[in-house]
Amino acid sequence: MMKKIVETYELAEGIVLDIKNLSMTFGGLRAVDNLSFQIKKNQIYGLIGPNGAGKTTVFNCITQFYKSATGEIIFENKNGEIINLNKVPVDKVINQGIVRTFQNVELIKDLTILENVLVGAHIDFKVTLFEEVFRVGRVRKEEQALRDKAMEVLKFLGIDAMKDFLAFGLPYGISKKVELARTLMSNPKLIILDEPAAGLNDTESIQLAHLIKEIKDRYQCSILLVEHDMRLVMDVCDQICAISFGKLLEIGTPKQIQQSKIVQEAYLGRTDE
Amino acid sequence: MEQSKLVLKTKVTTLLKSPYIQYGLFAVLLSILPMLQEIGILKSSEITILGSVMVYSIAALGLNLLLGYSGLASLGTAGFMGLAAYTTAYFVQDLGLPYIVAFIVSIIIPLAIGIIVGFISLRIEGMYLAIGTLIVAEILLKSFTQFSDITGGGIGKPMGYPNIAILGQLTKNQTFTLVAIVLVIFMILTYNIVRGRTGRALMAMRGSESAAQAMGINILKYRLITFGFATIFAAAAGVMWISFLPRIYPNDWGLTVSLNILAIIVIGGLKSIWGTLLGSFIVIGVPNLILKNIPIIGNIPGIPNIFTGLMIVLVIMYYPYGLIYIGHDVKKWYRYIKNYIQKLTNKKNNIDEVGK
Repeated sequence: MMKKIVETYELAEGIVLDIKNLSMTFGGLRAVDNLSFQIKKNQIYGLIGPNGAGKTTVFNCITQFYKSATGEIIFENKNGEIINLNKVPVDKVINQGIVRTFQNVELIKDLTILENVLVGAHIDFKVTLFEEVFRVGRVRKEEQALRDKAMEVLKFLGIDAMKDFLAFGLPYGISKKVELARTLMSNPKLIILDEPAAGLNDTESIQLAHLIKEIKDRYQCSILLVEHDMRLVMDVCDQICAISFGKLLEIGTPKQIQQSKIVQEAYLGRTDE
Repeated sequence: MEQSKLVLKTKVTTLLKSPYIQYGLFAVLLSILPMLQEIGILKSSEITILGSVMVYSIAALGLNLLLGYSGLASLGTAGFMGLAAYTTAYFVQDLGLPYIVAFIVSIIIPLAIGIIVGFISLRIEGMYLAIGTLIVAEILLKSFTQFSDITGGGIGKPMGYPNIAILGQLTKNQTFTLVAIVLVIFMILTYNIVRGRTGRALMAMRGSESAAQAMGINILKYRLITFGFATIFAAAAGVMWISFLPRIYPNDWGLTVSLNILAIIVIGGLKSIWGTLLGSFIVIGVPNLILKNIPIIGNIPGIPNIFTGLMIVLVIMYYPYGLIYIGHDVKKWYRYIKNYIQKLTNKKNNIDEVGK
């Protein structure tokens, strides 16, 4: 009899996500080139870089929207198992405990805010399709429980009063919050935020910074974010990874990154004096 | 005394707001129609037309799940309806099996074929899916003509009104009630599917595929689920068709029927159960019940198609989500007119007071 070979992966203590030699090419373009970094548990990790540096590509590789990346993405999932995310289908990534937002807010316009948040709880529903079609008592109970949970999340984000609004034509700040609420429904271990502050004004950005820290403490999760708003990044991140043209420039604390010569060159150009 | 009246009133209004109660009342309303025929208010031919409206509604509810909620276009509805109708007729007429057994088998066979077709074709989307389902429908249509031993070919296949175990042989009016009950059951099922997790998953899939996937929704699985549902609905409509109408012909299952069903949900309302029924009444009922009785207009050949085409154009121009959403506007107009009248009377009162 053949034995099923189970590959085992290792992860250092206190690390939740370990990216090893990640590369991704589109035709001749190397969008991500041999990138490695690690995210610790309960850490807010920033990924920065000039436009076109490949930040969103890294996100899409982690969440398996791009399947052809090489390298390893090792993650400690919800059940404490250590897995390689590259072997997980895109729609099963959330089951492992990773959930993301999108750069151009992807809300469902036909649904209300509350229902949008409930989409985030899709994997938490245990009823079968059959039970659902005939709407047995268990369905109502489960739906009500998750509705209550969604309301709690909305209250936490301060948008519970708007729960019955359609997610269409909402102010940008609210849309972003709804998307955040949707990620929180699945009790994730790692939240990936793609430019959470894009399109927000200064006050909203400051609020968001507080919110991100609060989320980390309340849900005991790690947060990986891509952001162009440097004030926000420097304010909330514990650790920052700067990349340019898919290559790693520097990893360090916000202070180290601010003082790094290479990062300054990548953003502002070199002076030949 | 006053208060208890008020409490009762609010209780009744909340009860009426429950869709299940609404559907139940609708069922009662529909079963009154045959009685109207018996006392001579409605003609027997009108009952036939209203029955067809209901049969079309069942299939259209299924297509609405597919197109309205999940954004998948199918032109194969009629093919699956026909398959189910012929299966029922074959099992009841030729094999002599009980109606209920035939009903169940007639749903399972199209469903099995539907799932196979779905598995192959649901990887493609938009226009191509519509073409794929059209091909399947055409294949089925061709088979209906070719296997004339079973289908009766061009002569048609009769079945007669169903003979149900406990109820015995049904009359036409009783069959009408049966169709009404099946319709209401399918309305309730649609409502259950749509309002829960599956409905949200379908709308998420339609709204943003990447968001849906990130939230753990397996696109192919949910497409297959809706396609399966649409097939079950179409099959049930087919069974009701052969139960209610005396004879079926291969030509009954052509592209026109699929397009009519598409027109029903476009005109009536995407993502709306009542809209589907309204659309069905407009596309199937209005031309046959009303237009044909109007002098001159009624004599124009092809008036139903002209009417449907005109309605599609008008609805897409003014109510792109369907005519059912006219309700909001009616309310708005009502409020506007009410306010206007109130303003006028206020003005008059003011003038009177000043005059004093």
